[in-house]
Amino acid sequence: MSDLRNPLQRARGLGSAKSGANHWWMQRMTAVALVVLGIWFVITLLSLMHADFATAHATLAKPWNAVLMIAFTTSMFWHAQLGLQVVIEDYVHTRWLEVSLMVLVKLLAVLFALACALAVLRVALGA
Amino acid sequence: MAEFTLPKNSKIQPGKHHAAEGAKKPRTFKIYRWSPDDGQNPRMDTFEIDLSSCGPMVLDALLKIKNEVDSTLTLRRSCREGICGSCAMNIDGTNTLACTKSIDDCKGGEISIYPLPHMPVVKDLVPDLTHFYAQFASIKPWLRTQSPAPSDAERLQSPEDRKKLDGLYECILCACCSTSCPSYWWNGDKYLGPAILLQAYRWIADSRDEDTGERLDDLEDPFKLYRCHTIMNCARTCPKGLNPAKAIAEIKKLIVERRSA
Amino acid sequence: MESYKVQQHKFDVIVVGAGGAGLRATFGLAEKGLKAACITKVFPTRSHTVAAQGGIAAALANMGEDDWRFHFYDTIKGGDWLGDQDAIEYMCKNAPASVIELEHYGVPFSRTEEGKIYQRPFGGMTTHYGKGTAQRTCAAADRTGHAILHTLYQQALAHDATFFIEYFATDLIFDDEGVCRGVLALDLNEGTLHVFRGQAVVLATGGYGRAYFSCTSAHTCTGDGGGMVLRAGLALQDLEFVQFHPTGIYGAGCLITEGVRGEGGYLTNAKGERFMERYAPSAKDLASRDVVSRAETIEIREGRGVGEHGDHTHLNLMHLGPEVIHERLPGIAETARIFAGVDVTKEPIPVLPTVHYNMGGIPTNYHGEVVQLKNGDPDAVVPGLFAIGEAACVSVHGANRLGSNSLLDLVVFGRAVAHRCAEIIKPDSPHKDLPASALDKALARFDKLRHADGDTPTADIRLKMQKTMQSDAAVYRTQETLAEGCEKISEVHASFENVRVSDRSMVWNSDLVETLELSNLLDQAVATMHSAEQRKESRGAHAREDFPDRDDAEWMKHTLVWIDEKGKSRFDFRPVHSNTLTDEVETVPPKKRVY
Repeated sequence: MSDLRNPLQRARGLGSAKSGANHWWMQRMTAVALVVLGIWFVITLLSLMHADFATAHATLAKPWNAVLMIAFTTSMFWHAQLGLQVVIEDYVHTRWLEVSLMVLVKLLAVLFALACALAVLRVALGA
Repeated sequence: MAEFTLPKNSKIQPGKHHAAEGAKKPRTFKIYRWSPDDGQNPRMDTFEIDLSSCGPMVLDALLKIKNEVDSTLTLRRSCREGICGSCAMNIDGTNTLACTKSIDDCKGGEISIYPLPHMPVVKDLVPDLTHFYAQFASIKPWLRTQSPAPSDAERLQSPEDRKKLDGLYECILCACCSTSCPSYWWNGDKYLGPAILLQAYRWIADSRDEDTGERLDDLEDPFKLYRCHTIMNCARTCPKGLNPAKAIAEIKKLIVERRSA
Repeated sequence: MESYKVQQHKFDVIVVGAGGAGLRATFGLAEKGLKAACITKVFPTRSHTVAAQGGIAAALANMGEDDWRFHFYDTIKGGDWLGDQDAIEYMCKNAPASVIELEHYGVPFSRTEEGKIYQRPFGGMTTHYGKGTAQRTCAAADRTGHAILHTLYQQALAHDATFFIEYFATDLIFDDEGVCRGVLALDLNEGTLHVFRGQAVVLATGGYGRAYFSCTSAHTCTGDGGGMVLRAGLALQDLEFVQFHPTGIYGAGCLITEGVRGEGGYLTNAKGERFMERYAPSAKDLASRDVVSRAETIEIREGRGVGEHGDHTHLNLMHLGPEVIHERLPGIAETARIFAGVDVTKEPIPVLPTVHYNMGGIPTNYHGEVVQLKNGDPDAVVPGLFAIGEAACVSVHGANRLGSNSLLDLVVFGRAVAHRCAEIIKPDSPHKDLPASALDKALARFDKLRHADGDTPTADIRLKMQKTMQSDAAVYRTQETLAEGCEKISEVHASFENVRVSDRSMVWNSDLVETLELSNLLDQAVATMHSAEQRKESRGAHAREDFPDRDDAEWMKHTLVWIDEKGKSRFDFRPVHSNTLTDEVETVPPKKRVY
């Protein structure tokens, strides 16, 4: 290698970020939430299989269902964002692109989660 | 971004063919060759070997080639019994030690041999492991204590606590696991890789070591530790039958254990 | 001759070799505030210390009564009274502290129920001067060498020691007064030459087991330190004493630890008979290695060998049970499976005596300082030159080393060298200028071999040497085989003039390195064969059928051998130190050696 730096200097790099555990933990928490909420979602969907729009609208408008629906979409986007972060960190090695993509993914995830929440709220509160 | 094509000068060319005339039990080895001295592209040389006059292991075949056919073939080797970790290379698609890999265990006709994947090549089958060794040094892999050792006696350790080091201390630093790990391929500059994380856990698991917290602090990093995506290539390829993935999982568990949920 | 650019490096001390002894010396020197550099041809954890299995001897008395004086006696008896008793006292007395120190460094020793270091019985290790069996060998399962070597490397990292890894040392550099000033080395990765200047050079280069065809030694055990010393016109000592390990795997030559017998394993012949009971009624399978190897050889020779050709014996450990095997001997279970295709819980391992260790080497005193016979003084120190480990002949092992004394030798004398250097070298003292011609000879030799264009490849000469050593300097020797061997090995040595190196590159030229190694091996092979021929007695590992007895009147002395450039040997002798270092222990006068 033509680099004159000491190998240990390179190996130690910028040191430990002392983070990552939160990401790891939240990825698992949201995964567990998604399993539970996913089951609820599928059951609800099945129960509405032959229902008309009004029945579906009324079902989603029920307080418990609305809350669970918001929880479901929020954890989904949260989890997706965490997952995409891993993909970006793994494969994108140009720093400015990495940061831009990460910010973009985070913003979009928040945006989509908010949009979903607003949609459910409108159904639930009948606005 | 990720690069998907090789630069022109690294495209592998077909190489020389060395036939074994009148061999009783011929077997063909295709071996990666590259020398920095001649300015040529890497090539795959083909060697036919008569197994009836060759030892049972892939290392025996490589040394037979070096001794009898082409003495310029370059590889690391030392103990020839699977304990020094010198002759780690990619044989028949798997990273392993040439000295403990039996020729008969290689499937099908030709046996292809490459240096350990994704490492800079020094020459032929010799990879540059400088960064790997520096990463080892970076985890400060020695017993770290604050309390002074007893003056005329050993530190005590129960047989049960000692057992926790089994499956860890046997690591021979051959780098088979790290160089089989896709995460290490993509992010080897920052990701410590399975071998070094196993070594790190060896000290975390040692009941005599008093620096567990600092060790965990140093590992808690999106790149140093959390690039492990439990792909499990490490455990599958380890020539000593160790399970680095399990050690990494234990580290992650301990880091979660010490925080509030 | 091509002109080479030689890079200069200056340190207080240069250590050549990064096995157990070299590493212990390196960080010991760093600890003492000396600037030390360790030059090694392989990455430190690849050194052959890694392959040591059974353990390291020290009278800790963790598992029954013990005393370092018993250890002292056993080592003298094991060495058949050729060992220097002052050095043996130093080693055995310092053994417990050295092992405790290793534990403090973090070696993962196996443990007793009380949490102390586990110790197992080993060949020749007794209590009360031969009366009982001692459990003296401290073990980390059957991977003790691996555990120790890795720990020592880690300690070297902790001490920020300086390493030059994959540098092959080619020659020692002396000034006109005969003081060793440094070493010339080839950087394999860059293909460049370097001269390392030091106030002292410590050779920790290991043995030359690869002079033989079948050995437990690694491919890298080529005695490079011994070769350099011989080329410098200095003598080596006691080379005729080559240890055959009784349990090398038949065919592959891989080591099966004596610890197997320590844990209760035993040898059998074709009749299934435990033949060691006949040869060593009291110690049986735990007699010293030379005794067991000779017994096996006789069994095989008298037609009681096992296998199709009746040419090996069986090592049985099935009766120990899977649990004990799994806990204490996991490594050899793996080795036996891979290299002999044997499941040790069900079948015996096929074994035979295999070359294992060189008791001889570079003569030193117990400080590790190289000594020579000079103007009638048998203990004249060569200034600036040290040797430790298997490369050295202190001589603590005498004519035969006891198992588990070699790891001990490494750490005790590795440490001793660090202490000694700290006493005699002031950190950062200026280096005297080298005479202009100091490197000429070494560079000329390097250049000659680099362009060697003869008609015999290195591998062919090496094979001839190995076959000759294997057949003519074997477990049993006679005047006839030795005389024939002398002639043959000298012929092989002469054929080196015609060696051919095919690789002309500079980066990682392993063809060239193997040739440089071969030249080291050849000198020592010749020296070994000729030393064996001239010693007309049987002692320890040197068993002459024509002189079956030990002859203390004539031969209780160390052989010194010089080899000139033509490969001709010359002999002289040094007396054995029969005195002890202190009055804490009494000398052991020679007596008949029975196990």
